[in-house]
Amino acid sequence: MRLKKLLLFSALIAGISVAHAQTKPDDVKTFTLANGMKFLVLEDHSIPTANMYLFWKVGSRNEVHGITGLSHFFEHMMFNGSKNYGPKQFDRVMEANGGSNNAYTTENVTVYTDWFQKDALETIFKLESDRIASLSIDPKMVESERGVVLSERSTGLENSNYRMLGELVQSVAFQEHPYMFPVIGFESDIKSWTQEDLENYFKTYYSPNNATVVVVGDIQADQVRKLADQYMAPIPARGLPPKIRTIEPQQNGERRVNAYKDITTPNVLLAYHTPQTGHEDYYALDLFSSLLTSGNSSRLIKSLVMDTTIASRAFSFLGEGFDPNIFNIYAIAGKGVSAPDLEKALLAQIDLIIKDGVSENELQKVKNQKLMEFYRSLETINGKANSMGTYDVFFGDYKKMFEAPKLYEKVTTEDIKRVAAKYFTERNRTVGYLLPEKNQEK
Amino acid sequence: MKKIFSLLLAIIPVFAMAQNNFKVPKYEKFKLKNGLTIYLMEQHEVPLINVSAVFDAGSIQDGERFGTASLTADGLLFGTKKYTKSQIEEMTDFVGANLSTYASKDNAGLVSSFAVKDQDKLFDIIQQVLLFPTFDATEFNKHKERTLLELDQQKESPRSVIGNYFNALVFKNFPYANPGGGIKSTVENISSEDAAAFYKSNYTTGKGAIAIVGDFKTADMKKRITTLFGSWKTAEARMVKRVAPDLEFDKSRVLLVNKDDARETTFLIGGKGVDYNSADYVPVIVVNTILGGRFTSWLNDALRVNSGLTYGANSRFARYKYAGTFAISTFTKNATTVPAIDMALQVLDSLHTSGIDETTLASAKAYVKGDFPPDYESAGALARLLTDMFVFNFDENYINTFQNKVDGLTTAQAKEIIKTYFPKDKLQFVLVGKASEIKDQVKKYGEITEKQIKAEGF
Repeated sequence: MRLKKLLLFSALIAGISVAHAQTKPDDVKTFTLANGMKFLVLEDHSIPTANMYLFWKVGSRNEVHGITGLSHFFEHMMFNGSKNYGPKQFDRVMEANGGSNNAYTTENVTVYTDWFQKDALETIFKLESDRIASLSIDPKMVESERGVVLSERSTGLENSNYRMLGELVQSVAFQEHPYMFPVIGFESDIKSWTQEDLENYFKTYYSPNNATVVVVGDIQADQVRKLADQYMAPIPARGLPPKIRTIEPQQNGERRVNAYKDITTPNVLLAYHTPQTGHEDYYALDLFSSLLTSGNSSRLIKSLVMDTTIASRAFSFLGEGFDPNIFNIYAIAGKGVSAPDLEKALLAQIDLIIKDGVSENELQKVKNQKLMEFYRSLETINGKANSMGTYDVFFGDYKKMFEAPKLYEKVTTEDIKRVAAKYFTERNRTVGYLLPEKNQEK
Repeated sequence: MKKIFSLLLAIIPVFAMAQNNFKVPKYEKFKLKNGLTIYLMEQHEVPLINVSAVFDAGSIQDGERFGTASLTADGLLFGTKKYTKSQIEEMTDFVGANLSTYASKDNAGLVSSFAVKDQDKLFDIIQQVLLFPTFDATEFNKHKERTLLELDQQKESPRSVIGNYFNALVFKNFPYANPGGGIKSTVENISSEDAAAFYKSNYTTGKGAIAIVGDFKTADMKKRITTLFGSWKTAEARMVKRVAPDLEFDKSRVLLVNKDDARETTFLIGGKGVDYNSADYVPVIVVNTILGGRFTSWLNDALRVNSGLTYGANSRFARYKYAGTFAISTFTKNATTVPAIDMALQVLDSLHTSGIDETTLASAKAYVKGDFPPDYESAGALARLLTDMFVFNFDENYINTFQNKVDGLTTAQAKEIIKTYFPKDKLQFVLVGKASEIKDQVKKYGEITEKQIKAEGF
């Protein structure tokens, strides 16, 4: 299967259409059960292994004050027992079968990932369907898991300055939309969710029609269909979750926020509102991020970290979302560099692109990198499952994954200049400073 | 178990080929006339080429000037006879290639991955970087300034530095005790000339190897490599006689590293482990899987699942050429420091007192076998495996017999493994946390020494 991937890659580098690649959109078999649960299945017999990725369309954007962090908490509770598998059994059965699992939660989705020997497919269906149909929300497990999540929250803040400043900036950039909440939740909320909150949340969001299930690996598509009918189809559908009503109004003026910590040099975060994933500007904005911080020759790394010592580190990323989210630019100041000076240097680089644009050569560089990145992520069955599921939930169709290379290739230097000018404005900006305690800047 | 998700960049460790008896693919090994060892392995699945080069230039050679090996490895990329640092970065970035250098404790090296179609360009750069580095003083000094700042910044995160404190405590006078990244007072005094000199005496063909794995024909690659590296003349390889360090301890010791603003205590508890070539490494990792090597391990079960004291607890064996360490690793909020440590110690003790039953051993074997082959799935990983063989002096037999060794382990043998390799008492503790809140309570674990996290070094 990896052969197919790289043929696809070299075809692209050579400027040949993606349609010539061996892995075609039609290789993916799709079906939807009567209860609304959607399946994407891709046979890949290169290794005697398979995976199941379950994408649930629930994340912190579905939360409100008082229940922040619940989406992420379910990512934990889903391993704490269901009707036929008591507490701990999910992991024990899986690991004894030579398998393992993980899960992640974002502002938009909660994704469960199982990796297993091909012979264990039915066991995985049993384990997954049991917790979806009849999760136990045992108050005793809830209490100990609260401690786990509080520790997860605390260790993130202890070890990551980005975590602290990112959460703060998010809470200011969004005044109305629930993207203002940290995925892990507020400490006080984590300590006080009620049993009723949990039961309601599970009923509302863990309905089969709110999930896309991806199975990739050494399995037969027919066999997946059969097991899905047997184990998942009997789970009754409930109503679809309520729509998010709140729309973040357009920002109309720069917002600023400061915090202090015992750190060496200031950290600066610039956040700009950008459209939802799937918007036509998505590809240009994603390439814009690469132009800024991908590789030592990128704009910010070269000018601020390599050629000068204004910053010791810089990175950027386009936040994805069902709703319009933010584009983040993060930098850590060099020795003796103040937060305002670092901010000025960052803005000067952005302004340079707004004013002069980028060369064809520079744009081609990040397109080349994007292709390498993109196809490296499709090198493994896990990468395939994750990408297919992601494209399905964010772009509405896994087939968009196959179109992505073409859409990146279509971005012009004019597009880059246009999105830079359109989104990276003073009015649309939130600036966060994390400042050293002892050396508070004037 | 939460990961922050990033579209297109989410790479999750793969788990594969579990039931196949994984074997190292065929490869060719030979020496150039100048003594440089070459490994070539064809892998035609993808039109990529992966390079791993190693030299006897790790931080074990630093002497008193901690950080020299690391700055030298970094400095290889700061310009060559033909290219400036910026040119190297422009050329590699443009084709989406990876090119990096590093120094670890036992060796230094270069790793690269690129498309077959870009091989002329990348091999030229790699030859320049390895044979003709100029250690440009301007770039070197800028890098030094960044490094000095990073040495302060890394202390903002206990997790980034606790391993350095642990090595300093456990390896005592052996060079593994020294931080590979250096400390401020040593880094300040290392010049580009020092790096050039370190390069000259330690990047030698006699103790160097280059592995190339990917989409090429061995005969053609042999010619290419001979042309590129055959005329490379270096100093004679140095023969340093080393005696494995003594990691036996006559008492328990506690190193308490004070971080005034800590909200949690991060800790490592351990002692002697196994060296890289221990004949018993395979049974050791099977047993360690049960103790602290997976989600359902006893440590994670007790400290996370049963009690909610932490987000995660594990145990690990870190292996180096001449010695290795064992450590239990976790963290908990300040107030539960002692309950968490007590519980970790109870779990370790239960490994010695109650041992392992058949069911648990069978489950661990299945898990370890499932977890192993993916480590060598990609061509890049195979290139590093080949150079690891060179550095640590083992061969494919280790890989090829791995599954049989796992299968052959009995509960009786496991008992012996526990007795021999898992420390029971006289443990070495490193706790990074708020001393004023925990000092009095943690004295009970052993002879206590206190350091300030902001004090230089480890």
